[in-house]
Amino acid sequence: MSLLSRLEDSIPSLRRYAWTLLRDPAEADDLVQDCLVRALDRLGTVRSEAELRPWLFAILHNLHVSRWRRQRRQRQVAVADADADVAIPASQPAGAEIRDVLRGIAALPEDQRQIVVLVAVEGLAYAEVAAILGIPVGTVMSRLSRARDRLRAFAEGHERPALRRVK
Amino acid sequence: MNSFQRPIGEDDLHAYVDGFLDAERRRVVERYLADHPEAAARIAGWQRAGVALREAVAWKAQEPVPAELSVVRLVEARLSRRTARWQPAAAVFLAVAVGAGSGWFARGPGMPRGVDAVSMEAAIAYRVFATDRMHPVEFDAANRVELVAWATRRLGRAVAPPDLSKSGFHLIGGRLIATPQGPGCMFLYGNAQGNRITVFVRPMHKIDVNAPMRPVQAGGTTGFAWARDGLGVSLVASTPLPGLQKLSDQVRDAMSPET
Repeated sequence: MSLLSRLEDSIPSLRRYAWTLLRDPAEADDLVQDCLVRALDRLGTVRSEAELRPWLFAILHNLHVSRWRRQRRQRQVAVADADADVAIPASQPAGAEIRDVLRGIAALPEDQRQIVVLVAVEGLAYAEVAAILGIPVGTVMSRLSRARDRLRAFAEGHERPALRRVK
Repeated sequence: MNSFQRPIGEDDLHAYVDGFLDAERRRVVERYLADHPEAAARIAGWQRAGVALREAVAWKAQEPVPAELSVVRLVEARLSRRTARWQPAAAVFLAVAVGAGSGWFARGPGMPRGVDAVSMEAAIAYRVFATDRMHPVEFDAANRVELVAWATRRLGRAVAPPDLSKSGFHLIGGRLIATPQGPGCMFLYGNAQGNRITVFVRPMHKIDVNAPMRPVQAGGTTGFAWARDGLGVSLVASTPLPGLQKLSDQVRDAMSPET
């Protein structure tokens, strides 16, 4: 029974992850809603509370992938992967380092972005991340290295995306 | 102590940053970083970027969760979809079951039916459970999600305790109640003066599927009872509190299916 409470507790972090994937608040919440509906249908298959969180992220990930494929088929256009424009609400205080790291995360290829967010923000174990994304742990680790080096470069100001410069 | 045998790998560096190392391996990595300033600078950069990243997205998890994502609401929506799909079959089944059952339960000429039966059941439930100071409910207010999911499943339709906090009554919890017509559910509320009221609900079968609100008194309790869209409701108090009718109006409006 308390799985339902745990499910509810996980919603804020699912929303956060969905937002980093889509960077569109409405689309992100749509994705989370689909994820929750599906999770409620299958909650009976979860054996322990420890399983619940990675399981939810896996559902979200799979829905994201299938949506992305469907969109691409329908529109015959690739969804922009690395638009450097990450919206951070004006109400949020954002120091230079935060803005840099947001640009950095937007500039990462999606597979690296997913991994670094699942590890560094959501605190999931490497094996859990591998299971969520359906890839070997070794691949998780090598992509994590690349993602972290890249983010570090952004955060330390060594790398800047092509900003339009006004002369 | 034998960890010197295993060379430091990138996996160790990540696990160091993410706090996945045991104390011994952690000391080994720290010694390594002390001897390798370049690696130490890299790790410090990873850590700083991680802190900045967490700060950069923290606001999203601190936003209030929109109502469309409330688990209670999703459970209700899901179950009402399911109920709608099964309603014709269930109605036939219930008609048969009630027809068979009524021979038993409705034999005596004084046996209440419809909303009268609901108010009687509500009064009995109040006297047995609402007055119990030790264990009046099976799910308390902190477990509202479970309460709603459970009541909804057992009653076969979406039911949830209405919010009466504006009238000074907070939800204490709820429990399932056995009635001759099947499961009902009692939601218990209390106010600052120590008064307790209950909102009792159960599905109506054939008789009084819709019935206007009327005052009821039974078994030393007082309150109001009505039925709407096949759900019988009775609000019960031990004494005729002022504002009970207004409260009943509030409950009726809150429990009407949203369109």
